[in-house]
Amino acid sequence: MATPRYLTAQKISLLVLTRLYCNSSLPSSATIPVLSFILSSNLPPTASSARPRPSSTSSRHDTSFSIDAFEDVLQGHASSMPGRTLLDLFLKHMWEMNSFDALHALFDSILDLITPPSPGTLDEEASDRIYLSKTSPLGVFVRRAHLEFTRLQFDDSMKLWSSFIKYRAPTAQWTKRLAGLASSGVDVVVSEMGLRVGDNVYEVAYGHLDEQDEEGEGMSLDDLDRILEFQLERLQKFGDRVPDDMKGQLRSMVSASGMVHRPAHLVQFFDAWKAGDYTSAFDNLHRYYDYAIQTRDKNHYQYALLHMAILQAEFGCFGEAIAAINETIATARENQDMTCLSFSLSWLNHMAKAYPKEMKGAGYMNMLGSERDALTFLKAKAKEMKMYNLLSASLLNEAKFFLATGDSIPRALEHIYQSSHLNIKENINSYGSQMLLTSILYTRLGIPHLANAHCELLLDCYSHTCSLEERIRAIGRRAFIVSQTGRYDEAISTLEAVDPSMHRSLKFHQYLVLCIGILKLRRAIRTSDHPTATHLLQTLKPSPSPSNPLLDPELSFLQHEAYIEYLVSTAQFPRAFEAISSLAKALKDENADIALRVSVLIMLADLWHKVGKPERGFSVALRAASVSFRARLAVSLWCAVGCLGGILNGLGEFVGAKRLVEGVLPQALEGTDTMLIGTLYSHLADSYMGLANPNLADSALLPPVTSPSTPKVAPSPGSSSRSRAFHIAKAELYIDRARDCFKKARSLDGECEQLMKKAIIAKLRGDEKLAEEWAQNYNRVWEEGVRAREG
Amino acid sequence: MGTLSQADEAQLKAQLQDAVVGCTERGLYHSAKWAAELLDSLPAPDDHGSDTDVDSPMSDAHPPQTPHLMPKDATEARLEAREAHKFLLAKTYFDCREYDRCAAVFLPGPLPKQAPSTPNPKSKQAGKGKAKMGTPTKASFSHHSISSLSQKSLFLALYAKYMAGEKRMNEDSEMILGPQDGGVTLNKELPGVSAVLEEWFKKLPSSGRQPQGWLEYLYGIVLAKGKNEQLAMDYLVKSVHQYTYNWGAWQELQALLNTMDELNHLVTQLPQNLMTFIFHVTTSQELYAVNDQVHNSLSQILTIFPTSAFLKTQRALLHYHNKDFDDAEQIFSDLLVSDPHRVDHLDNYSNILYVMGMRPKLAFLAQLATATDKFRPETCCVVGNYYSLKSEHEKAVMYFRRALTLDRTFLSAWTLMGHEFVEMKNTHAAIESYRRAVDVNRKDYRAWYGLGQTYEMLEMHSYALFYHQRAAALRPYDPKLCMAVGQCFGKVGKVMNGIRAYKRALVAGSYYDAGVGSSFGSGEVSGLGGGILDPDVLYQIALLYERIHNMNDCAAYMELVLAQEEGPDADEVGAEGVGGVGVTATTSKARLWLARWEYMRGMYQRAMELANELCQDGVEVEDAKALVRDIRARMERPGGEEGY
Repeated sequence: MATPRYLTAQKISLLVLTRLYCNSSLPSSATIPVLSFILSSNLPPTASSARPRPSSTSSRHDTSFSIDAFEDVLQGHASSMPGRTLLDLFLKHMWEMNSFDALHALFDSILDLITPPSPGTLDEEASDRIYLSKTSPLGVFVRRAHLEFTRLQFDDSMKLWSSFIKYRAPTAQWTKRLAGLASSGVDVVVSEMGLRVGDNVYEVAYGHLDEQDEEGEGMSLDDLDRILEFQLERLQKFGDRVPDDMKGQLRSMVSASGMVHRPAHLVQFFDAWKAGDYTSAFDNLHRYYDYAIQTRDKNHYQYALLHMAILQAEFGCFGEAIAAINETIATARENQDMTCLSFSLSWLNHMAKAYPKEMKGAGYMNMLGSERDALTFLKAKAKEMKMYNLLSASLLNEAKFFLATGDSIPRALEHIYQSSHLNIKENINSYGSQMLLTSILYTRLGIPHLANAHCELLLDCYSHTCSLEERIRAIGRRAFIVSQTGRYDEAISTLEAVDPSMHRSLKFHQYLVLCIGILKLRRAIRTSDHPTATHLLQTLKPSPSPSNPLLDPELSFLQHEAYIEYLVSTAQFPRAFEAISSLAKALKDENADIALRVSVLIMLADLWHKVGKPERGFSVALRAASVSFRARLAVSLWCAVGCLGGILNGLGEFVGAKRLVEGVLPQALEGTDTMLIGTLYSHLADSYMGLANPNLADSALLPPVTSPSTPKVAPSPGSSSRSRAFHIAKAELYIDRARDCFKKARSLDGECEQLMKKAIIAKLRGDEKLAEEWAQNYNRVWEEGVRAREG
Repeated sequence: MGTLSQADEAQLKAQLQDAVVGCTERGLYHSAKWAAELLDSLPAPDDHGSDTDVDSPMSDAHPPQTPHLMPKDATEARLEAREAHKFLLAKTYFDCREYDRCAAVFLPGPLPKQAPSTPNPKSKQAGKGKAKMGTPTKASFSHHSISSLSQKSLFLALYAKYMAGEKRMNEDSEMILGPQDGGVTLNKELPGVSAVLEEWFKKLPSSGRQPQGWLEYLYGIVLAKGKNEQLAMDYLVKSVHQYTYNWGAWQELQALLNTMDELNHLVTQLPQNLMTFIFHVTTSQELYAVNDQVHNSLSQILTIFPTSAFLKTQRALLHYHNKDFDDAEQIFSDLLVSDPHRVDHLDNYSNILYVMGMRPKLAFLAQLATATDKFRPETCCVVGNYYSLKSEHEKAVMYFRRALTLDRTFLSAWTLMGHEFVEMKNTHAAIESYRRAVDVNRKDYRAWYGLGQTYEMLEMHSYALFYHQRAAALRPYDPKLCMAVGQCFGKVGKVMNGIRAYKRALVAGSYYDAGVGSSFGSGEVSGLGGGILDPDVLYQIALLYERIHNMNDCAAYMELVLAQEEGPDADEVGAEGVGGVGVTATTSKARLWLARWEYMRGMYQRAMELANELCQDGVEVEDAKALVRDIRARMERPGGEEGY
């Protein structure tokens, strides 16, 4: 059975309800629920313009609702007739349609609802009727229904009638009042002829009612279009994939309709794309536009190209992508389609930033000059065309650009706030990217709990309007923030607990797996679990070739970082150095984010420090510190200063080291990065130990002004032993603190190192027993750690 | 005829059974269906059908009876046995609708275009095949091969040829009412088939073969198609003499009859048996000759075949022609219940429902028919009628068109489509549709009447008159048709003829005592009782008399119009007390006319009475009041004393 074009049993019931409404037998309290019910299933889907639909989740997409829906709506309202609910009235009207002819009569009379009587004849009996305007939503619905019914062939209208009977059938038992009407059976002619179920004639006319197949039941092509449109919206806006069971249902619906359905190909295309199935995505896209050509709409061409470009880029074919996008831009220019043009330019700009090397390699020349120029141009265009979507995105991009170049933070904030203002004022749904950017900003400023709060905000408040990608990124970022405090297991479990539906898209699946992998690798490195780390690295090792295009650029840096950390922790210093220098070079080529480049500098300084050549790391660390100070990269600054402190310690400049570390420690404490805090404490403890060295006391006192505490110690040599004891006590205090932090960060190495320091201090004091105890403690902790990671 | 004896019944069964087999073998499916239905409608003998016997009594009666009832011609039997395999092959081709291939099994090569001898002076096959001369060698070859065939095979082959020609003819006609569809496309196989058959029959006496009736039937069809009707009738009569139970032959005969007189003449030549009886009833029905005798005959036949749907349908149609819609509707309704999958004659049922205005039931019928088979011409007609009743004329035309595409000879669809075109004011298409209907069946008075009405719409009254006369000739007792004739006469100025026609309408109107309804569409239903004359007709007559200045007659008829208000005097109609029509627009007009007439004659008193009555009735009040004033003025003048 072919799917009907538009009319279904539900639509007929709605017509009946509409007529009931127009006859104004509705109490005023029921008007709004009834009207919203009718409209919810009839409003034409909004044209996909630049403005998105205001949160559409509440509107009903289930067009094939059962008759129970009417019961839910109408049950509670009393009608103008005392003692009867609206439902009774509605059912009465429904059952008064007691023959096939009555159905025709309904459609014949339905146009009366939209043709008001001429002013002259407007007399008393017609005054309380409601007449619909022809262009009102209800009027359009009525007219469309009438038109579609006129178009029906006789046997199609027969099918409609039987589907209506079937649809209505369950209501026969609902109320006793109906008994009189419903007892006449489905058709008054049948009952007048004295026929019953089972008679031959009855079987011929209505026998098929019981056996009609369920598939695609109650669906019209129009409904199907709306469902597909909904799926498209999901796919395009959120990047969801169609769930498998839904896919099966859709397929059966589309195939039942027995027609070539254009949107279906588009849905398939998006689905295949999200599934990472390049060839079928490509195939389906072409198929869709081949069918779209039928409508002779040249407009489709540039959008086809745009889709193609995005698809190609997604699968790493940058050369083809650029060719396609260039063609898109040319076509859009030719067709004066500013929306498409601006979008293409913006996308191109975005791509150039995300994959600079690949884009350059593919022969991309920025056609708008520098990036800053491009952004200004886009902003101007967006303002001119009133494309607030694009404007908001451009503002965010500009903010991002300021961050990346280490420009002033206030200006970045200003742009973010402008964009936020636009979002609210023009009702644009780009909250996701805005939240993410704010979160990044706070991370860089070293306020992780605010960053976390923004991620949570995104997930809790905007999750239904944000694309899946943004949600996944938020989840990933939260996991990393959590992991900074050493709660690796929690971070990993949150990532693993992600809704399995997100894994349906290959890209997101890869992202999640990578996040989990990096977290696990870090944990393994921290817990000195080298076998695990080595094992994990087999899959996570960054490819030596220019970073895998499929990979997220953000994560790819994390991957490098973890790898270098691994190399350092396993004391493979030459290789670590190689890795660092190659990474630094790559970043420089890419003109990458300043934060990343500073991190590389810090890693390098740390490496020099580790290999015992602190003097070579000094200038590096100093530069990192100064750059991050200028760019307000707080975390980097603390790291760099910590590193610097370590280097100064190594050089014997304990006072300077102490002052530096003490300068950043309070801020770092706010940052809750336990590993960093532990390191800082450890450096501080080292400085105090260094200060306690009697031989170095003089040299340490050389710059008397630098340290406020030293002058007190300096005057009397007799106080030197006291000050030593004081320094040692301080050192021990900080060692303990560092140990706590390392323990929290689950850094086994760090913890054991602190224990060793304690043992050494005890030994220096001459307390062999205590030293022995610390040493045993050391062994115990080590073994416990090893056991813990094995158990 | 009464009930049949046991032996007769057994024989009848055997003959019908044989007819079913014989017709099926020859591809005459409708005749076979008809015979089988009739066979099934015989009452099952109670004593025979015991519980132990699961099979119907007919099946066990079958084997012994068939051979001795239909003694086979030895020659034919021999020939048939020789060709058995080939015949099976040809029959399967026929069943697969590969007609040409079927014909080629027995008749390879083209048929001769014309018989080798000079055309028989008796056969006037208008120009057929005369242009093309068949080569004698080929003709003799085919002739030789033909004579060696059994009649059964020859019939199947020629019938297949004929069918192939019909199929091609339909295909060539293309769209309904399209440029190619003029109703003039010919079946190109006819000359060949006709030539072969002519030769065969010419040689029949010398060949010593026994005719079986089938070839005669086919020849009859072919001749009828060539408009050689007298000869066709002869052959068909021969056919039914030789093989009685071929309903197709009877139907062809029916189509050739135009009047009851012809029928009565023909009946004398027919064999005296049951089939003739059925034929007589059916043909009377087709010719709209409804009387008690036909009803009686039908009742008698129904006692033999008590459950025959065909005969019941005939009864319903008789009622329908008699405008007895309720009875007709009841019969059709019962038929529907007993056999819901039967689509035959449902178009007539839908006409009845249409006239009765039973929309829901018509919708249900349409639903039922569509559920059974939506591509039957009858179904399309029912649906078309439904849309017509809903005043959706475009859709109705679409469905009638579909019906005609399915079967170009489907009469009622042509007529109904004509009605729809009239409604849509498309007079040219309407005329063409009616014309085609008339071409298909010259006995369809509705088409004739429709033609007349359409020409009236076009103000071409003499044309309209001709068609109305045709229609009236077909239904001499339909007052409406007579009225139409009278009206046309009036329009063309033949007043006396018009008056005669109207008077005839009066007679016809009183003839139907069950009430006169319109046959279609116009919604003019007057439930006039027995003695009441139609005031409209009387008024028209009066007006016509006025036109020829026969004022006395005119006034008399006007008085008659008024008299219809009260109805006939009580003593005339007895105690029934049939009321008159009451005050209508027509009677008021008559009253006004009379008032003026009396006024002009100077009978002021009477004029005053009439004018006052008019004022009381509230019709034409203005005119009446003016008249009253005038009368007063006259009466008050000295001259007015006469009135006192």
